[in-house]
Amino acid sequence: MSAVLNASHTPPPPAAPLHQVSPGLWQLAWRRLKRDKVGIVSLVVVIFFLLMMVGSYTGLVAKNWSKEVGVSYANPSFMAGAENLEAVRTKADANAPKIEPVDLSDIDPLAPRYAEWAERTAKIKTTEVKRAESLAFGGDKWGRDVLQKAIKGAETSIFVGLFAALFATIIGTTLGAISGYMGGKVGDLLEWFYNIFTSIPYILLILAFAAVFASSPQLAAYKGVPMVVAILAFTGWTGIYRLVRSEYIKHASREYVKAAQAIGASDSRRMFVHILPNVSHVCLVQLSQHVVQFIKAEVILSYLGLGVPVDSVSWGTMLAEAQSELVIGKWWQLAAAGISMAILVTAFSMLTDSLRDALDPKIK
Amino acid sequence: MNLNIPTLNCAKRAIAALALVWASIFLATVAQAGDLKTLKIAFRNAETGFDPQRIEDRYSVGIIENFFDTLVTYDWLARPAKLVPLAAEKVPEGEEGGTRFTFRIKPGILFADDPAFKGKKRELVARDMEYAIKRFRDPANRSPYAWLFIDRIVGFDEYVEAAKKANKYDYEKSIPGVQVLDKYTISFKLKQADYNFLYFFAMPIVVPVAREVIEAYASDTMAHPVGTGPYILKQWTRRSKIVLERNTNYRGHQLDTQYANPNDPFDQAAIKALAGKTLPLIDRIEISPIEEEQPRFLAFMNLEHDYIEETPPNFVSQLLSLGKLSPAMVKRNVHVQRTEEPEITWDAFNMEDKIVGGYKPENVAFRRALVLAHDRASEINIIRKGQAIATKSAIPPGAVGYDPDFYAVDEEYDLSRAKALLDLYGYVDKDGDGWRDMPDGSPIVLTFKHRAEMEGRQIAELWVKSMAAIGIRMQTTAVQFADLLRDRKVGKFQMSNLSWTADYPDGQNFLQLLYGPNIDESNDARFKLPEYDRLYSQALKLPDGPARNKIYREMNRLIVAYAPWRLGVNRIFSHFINPWVLGYKRHPILYTAFKYLDIDTAAQQAAQQQ
Amino acid sequence: MGAYVLRRLWQMIPTLAGVMLLIFVLFNWVGGDPSLVLAGKITNKEQIENIKKQLGVDQPAYVQLGYFAFEVATGFTCTWKSFTDKPEPPKTDPKADPTTDAKSDAVKATAQTKSGCQAVRSWATNEEVPKILTTRIVPTLTIMIPVLILETILGVILAIGVAYVRGSLTDRMIMMVCTVAMSVSFLVYIIVAQYIFGFQLGWFPVQGWSDSFWKNITYYAPLPIMLAVFVGLAPALRLYRSFFLDEINNDYVRTARAKGVSEKTVMMKHVLRNAMIPILTNIGIALPGIFVGSFLLETFFSIPGLGREILVAVNRSDFPVIKAATVYLAMVTMIINLLVDVLYKAVDPRVTFK
Repeated sequence: MSAVLNASHTPPPPAAPLHQVSPGLWQLAWRRLKRDKVGIVSLVVVIFFLLMMVGSYTGLVAKNWSKEVGVSYANPSFMAGAENLEAVRTKADANAPKIEPVDLSDIDPLAPRYAEWAERTAKIKTTEVKRAESLAFGGDKWGRDVLQKAIKGAETSIFVGLFAALFATIIGTTLGAISGYMGGKVGDLLEWFYNIFTSIPYILLILAFAAVFASSPQLAAYKGVPMVVAILAFTGWTGIYRLVRSEYIKHASREYVKAAQAIGASDSRRMFVHILPNVSHVCLVQLSQHVVQFIKAEVILSYLGLGVPVDSVSWGTMLAEAQSELVIGKWWQLAAAGISMAILVTAFSMLTDSLRDALDPKIK
Repeated sequence: MNLNIPTLNCAKRAIAALALVWASIFLATVAQAGDLKTLKIAFRNAETGFDPQRIEDRYSVGIIENFFDTLVTYDWLARPAKLVPLAAEKVPEGEEGGTRFTFRIKPGILFADDPAFKGKKRELVARDMEYAIKRFRDPANRSPYAWLFIDRIVGFDEYVEAAKKANKYDYEKSIPGVQVLDKYTISFKLKQADYNFLYFFAMPIVVPVAREVIEAYASDTMAHPVGTGPYILKQWTRRSKIVLERNTNYRGHQLDTQYANPNDPFDQAAIKALAGKTLPLIDRIEISPIEEEQPRFLAFMNLEHDYIEETPPNFVSQLLSLGKLSPAMVKRNVHVQRTEEPEITWDAFNMEDKIVGGYKPENVAFRRALVLAHDRASEINIIRKGQAIATKSAIPPGAVGYDPDFYAVDEEYDLSRAKALLDLYGYVDKDGDGWRDMPDGSPIVLTFKHRAEMEGRQIAELWVKSMAAIGIRMQTTAVQFADLLRDRKVGKFQMSNLSWTADYPDGQNFLQLLYGPNIDESNDARFKLPEYDRLYSQALKLPDGPARNKIYREMNRLIVAYAPWRLGVNRIFSHFINPWVLGYKRHPILYTAFKYLDIDTAAQQAAQQQ
Repeated sequence: MGAYVLRRLWQMIPTLAGVMLLIFVLFNWVGGDPSLVLAGKITNKEQIENIKKQLGVDQPAYVQLGYFAFEVATGFTCTWKSFTDKPEPPKTDPKADPTTDAKSDAVKATAQTKSGCQAVRSWATNEEVPKILTTRIVPTLTIMIPVLILETILGVILAIGVAYVRGSLTDRMIMMVCTVAMSVSFLVYIIVAQYIFGFQLGWFPVQGWSDSFWKNITYYAPLPIMLAVFVGLAPALRLYRSFFLDEINNDYVRTARAKGVSEKTVMMKHVLRNAMIPILTNIGIALPGIFVGSFLLETFFSIPGLGREILVAVNRSDFPVIKAATVYLAMVTMIINLLVDVLYKAVDPRVTFK
């Protein structure tokens, strides 16, 4: 729909590579990346987070994040002595005044087995766990360790970011490739689709997709984290589609593609075997940009209550929870989720920059 | 509350300059308020409109309390709520065995001026009440309170049926059960005895309206409330600002002190501030709907509002911890009133569900075990921040028929009893995966549907944890409010959290939530027990008294025994009032207090200018 | 050129149809049942049927879609009867002088009901949908236009400064700060800023909105605007800097330098002018967004804007509002895209229309 520009603003792609050149692109890129200190530091940080994610996924760290080990809003250990009114209030719970309980035995379907029930009850013992007054970086309202929550939340958020970005890239690349390469009727159809998606306000699109997923029984099995991934991927592929499409339009007329056609390579082979490697750097940069974007979008989804389900935790749900905690002086959950997210996202963005620089041979 | 903000030296000056500019604007706006006695407050939610017969949300209904006069109302100070006349001369007695109610409207009550009256003063007459009643079932109005008048008044259903056939809702035709006896007298004949019918006429939506106004603004009646009440709608920016000003035609009213409690400081303060004066005293009221908790709270803290009602539980402990006002609030001389309102929450089981439903002993045992395992104290202490008490029966305190002595151990958290009950009825782990299974060996996975917002999420979270503690697996589904409503009404849920606020303060308004024939209407748990239904119909025919209370108690016992609900909580609301607001007292049913308030304008302005 | 614009306008029709179809399917097919939302606390079957009939949601999907198309085309909704019936003249006394607004409102209202056609109305509040859109867009734009202007101006000025000292420590530090600033969630910014600047320091009101534009822009809007600018500035700065750097590396810049043109002139005259094209493109992309606004800002600062309205409408299954907002925003998006493309022609003579 937009005017086609003679002068492209995106940097031109690498000079038409011949078949054996493409591995060289990646090697060169790696060499360039290695020289980039910021890039390497970012890479290390990102790898650290990924390892942490694997660790928490396999249960090596933060396995007990959901255990209620402390009192409600336990103080962080560095302010252990501070007054914690919330915890005091929770403990001060006065027992209900003892009134004679109503007798149900004349109407209760369970009445015939009252004696057996009481007998079994007597045999079951429950133990009260002692709760800590302070935790490493404080506790949340249930008394769970905020630090462990942040680690576990990182796992979910990164997972959501990575996979949503991966799926969005796959959708965007596939559709973009088809549209750019094929053109014609198919291209028009996909362009139509693209225009529809970009014309609807993002927030409405998200709410609509969330409603589809939440109320469709066929999709019930995929509720939870996969649902969040799907919502983000289905609403977030358009940017990638656009870029990939324009790359394919450029490449489709290149000589190497024509050569491939001459030796009888099929359309799909030309699209995905010949052209794809030459635009993969665009996809890679887009992928890592979208990881960042989706990690942030997950926060908004959680704010709307459409985030991950209650038995898991993400940075977004932590922030949504912490919304009202700042005013009552319990800033640690906001800080833990906010800061850890900031570190990862910063590192990831810088890595993306370095990647782009490394993959773009024009910039010295 | 003490947060040190590191300020960079270089930025300081610029910031100071900026602050100066804002400060001057601040002062300018404060001075603007001028000589009118103005009250500024926030509402927790946005309004929808002000056509009495077309609205139902508490916030809009709360506002129209001030525009329209009901025939009868609740005494402002009496607790529990007591009916007193308002536009009617007296509260009618039920005649003909509780099937006839006759109201006589006070002569000389005037509507507020409106162009629709073409410059003439317009008196309130019985026809206005008749017209309003008819409006409830006009299909074009799709009144959310149409159910009040369905299958109740003699001839009304036939009237509606005939209108449907004729494809014209004819206001000229009369209804046999709604008789206008003379200019000021209207009489209702019911199909069967119903003593709660009288309460309908205290609901702010069952108010007389002027037909010429409704017809003049036919397409936008929501924006043109014209009534006989103390205030008029002066200005309305939807979902942003509602401004009320005095109705100059209003006859004035006085605070009735005969039911005042001599030991209640709020009653005494109200008497001191208002007794003997002609009310209302406030000239202008500005209401801003603020949906987010943080800004609503901070706006009160910043003196942008004169009081805060229904303070978000998360923030109450900032102002009031362990029953004591915080030093900052003491310094500001803020008062607090804490009220339990006639409302309850509960977690419903879908009685038609394969796993949680059913009436056989093993089904009942399963539900009862879930009830026993649900850690309600944590819901109160942690989710609701202590701003609630455990519900003991389906009738909340403050409603007629409430039984303070009703207490069932089977609603008390007890893990051992829960586990023992599950073991006893064969709900044990059969396949060795660590989770309990059905007696026939099929796995149990419960699903809890909740609203996609923080409170719903936390309630679901607590259920998941409580169930895990007894080895039952539970999933949760978050849905938007509208979707949840749909799923609940058609029984497309297994468990869900619900609440109910009284339409009128009688236990029946709550007990009907489990009445079998109300399935698809208000009985979301889809509970159907012949014994319960029999008791319900029996209670309907009785006036308030020990005989009816005994039946209510029986019904509550059945609720506990069959456990279609996990009884939840009665929320406690905290209302913080700045010292210049005089005579504040929260009413359990009526939502706004404007017509019983005064403001010490000097103190208000002094505080805001500080 | 004229032909191009015409063709582009013509192409909008299928897109708009697609938008309508998608929104219709998503909300009508899987959305909540509006009749249940409206039916009240006790949902009587008869009542539900009546509401469904009143709203027209008991009709087959294609009929509803037809109504939807009609509503989009005219902004009015009509009952089927109104097409066959002759409109009666308004019943109001013709002699009565409509001196007040309310009265002429009343006359208009009567006329509308009589003809059976009336403006599309919200199901929840009965407010006219076109009025909802036109009134809610004002606060949204009051926030978003200053945001866009400030962001662009500050972004360009800072970016050109940073590009001037590219590669230096300052450049790297600023870029670093930008990246860090971008990594914090908007939600966190809002919560913290409202608490600190609105409450602890009391420099701004915590929330609110008035009817006076002047008061809004000087009193209520500054904090939300500053927040949005702060959040938007970092990515804009990074992007604009890259545009400048792209230009700086071009041959023509080298040639200019070689000719002995001073660095300042090179930056201001050559680089800035050429970099303006991608910057304008970027603004063009961002422009439709200002009509939606930020629902986060609007809910936290109680701004009665469009973003909040959409959120509320979804929650209440208020289809007329959802549908109208979507269609209207889609149109705005497409028209702005067209305008931007046409503007290109004016700015960049290298552009040709296909």
